[in-house]
Amino acid sequence: MSITVQVKCGQSKWEVSVNPEKTVAEFKDEIAKVSEIPAANQRLIYSGKILKDDQNVESYKIQDGHAIHLVKSGGGGGNTAAKASTSSQESNTAAPGSATVPSNIASGQTGGFNPLSDLTSARYAGFTNLPSADMFGPDGGLTNMPNQDDMLGMLENPIFQSQMNEMLSNPQMVDFMIQSNPQLQAMGPQARQLLQSPFFRQMLTNPQMLRQSMQFSSMMNPSGGNDAAAASFPAPGDSTTEASSTEANTDANANTNANANTNAANPFAAMFNPGSNPLASMFGNQGVGAADNQQNQPFDPSMLASLLGGGAAQQRAEQDNRPPEERYEQQLRQLNDMGFFDFEKNVAALRRSGGSVQGALDSLLNGDV
Amino acid sequence: MSLKRITKELNDLGRDPPTSCSAGPVGDDIYHWQASIMGPPDSPYAGGVFFLSIHFPTDYPFKPPKIAFTTKIYHPNINANGNICLDILKDQWSPALTISKVLLSICSLLTDANPDDPLVPEIAHIYKTDRAKYEATAREWTKKYAV
Repeated sequence: MSITVQVKCGQSKWEVSVNPEKTVAEFKDEIAKVSEIPAANQRLIYSGKILKDDQNVESYKIQDGHAIHLVKSGGGGGNTAAKASTSSQESNTAAPGSATVPSNIASGQTGGFNPLSDLTSARYAGFTNLPSADMFGPDGGLTNMPNQDDMLGMLENPIFQSQMNEMLSNPQMVDFMIQSNPQLQAMGPQARQLLQSPFFRQMLTNPQMLRQSMQFSSMMNPSGGNDAAAASFPAPGDSTTEASSTEANTDANANTNANANTNAANPFAAMFNPGSNPLASMFGNQGVGAADNQQNQPFDPSMLASLLGGGAAQQRAEQDNRPPEERYEQQLRQLNDMGFFDFEKNVAALRRSGGSVQGALDSLLNGDV
Repeated sequence: MSLKRITKELNDLGRDPPTSCSAGPVGDDIYHWQASIMGPPDSPYAGGVFFLSIHFPTDYPFKPPKIAFTTKIYHPNINANGNICLDILKDQWSPALTISKVLLSICSLLTDANPDDPLVPEIAHIYKTDRAKYEATAREWTKKYAV
């Protein structure tokens, strides 16, 4: 008993009857009779599969009344647009069964939706973060970050750049970064916009820009803490500092600029130092905070303004010796709001966490101080 | 629920598939399909047949299917792993969508790439600055991998 299938090719359609026990090659001959497309130039597709010449029609479970696709390969037919790309494919048509099965790429199925899968796969291995001698401090911990030159060297590596790009353009990765960072979460949809904005991406991948902003941040905040970034990480255009004047506008720009790299001389040190930088989650090493940053001033846009005006160097010098209640003013207030009133403990915890409220909370709750 | 819905989609696809797409289970597992897309005639992918893998989540259609190209393709929104940057496969998924509609969307993505939301920034850059070069490379890849 034979079945009738519809053969579709572009706008044309034919009905062809075939005995399911016949081979695909014989089936193609049948189709050639009605379609006038030589069997050698036919590629038949059913259910997402290319039908191979030596198989039986029945092995593909084609059902009566179902439709299969016919794709012309090789020269001859085809519309004008297709001609350009098909004209030189005569050689392939000799053995369509084997030659037309495309070489597949293996991955794409294994990764699933795990946002970290890209990071853990082998193609990312080998070029970042191999510990160099000067990565480790005297205490053997990770308290010392790779130095500035290492960082910039890494950033100038085009592979690294393209991966940053890829990572930031992957919506899952962005989701993941937002989810794992309370500050970004609090920002809501703007966080996503920020992370996906070309400006931010460029900021993270453009070595010149980083170097520039590093100079900025080291000028005004030689060992600035992460909280600086956390406290003032506005989405571009959503900044309260962007009041009305053009000066304020420069602020907002330079502000985001510096924020990404506030952590002293190492623009990406914050990556290894969770709590404030959205990229921290990429590396996930929760315990590796910078040991004790001397100074943790929330980033003050007005400081930048005055710096641009030319007089901030002295201002910074004054701040070096401020007492803890002044230095950690904002963080202490936050801790108070959360019900931690012991001033000594709070300061000790903040010192230990390098000014990060999150870190201080951890040590307060663990009773470490 | 998901089984019934997938079976229905399979039936509809077999009876009346879209002009340029085809899909069906790889083996006996109804949750794992493969699909093929014929390169749209008005695109540099014309003449090529591109294969994709489709994995249905068990809570389909409430969650989107996972779809990736298994044939290499040169496109700003499709990366080397075959992952596709398409909103309806991510946050814009709706249970009202079907595999057939998704495949058609991918087809139209082949005709009209979206270089402003690229998955491969390098290709997007070439797409925007040197369209002829992009089309030439895309044609070359099509010829090499999809014919």
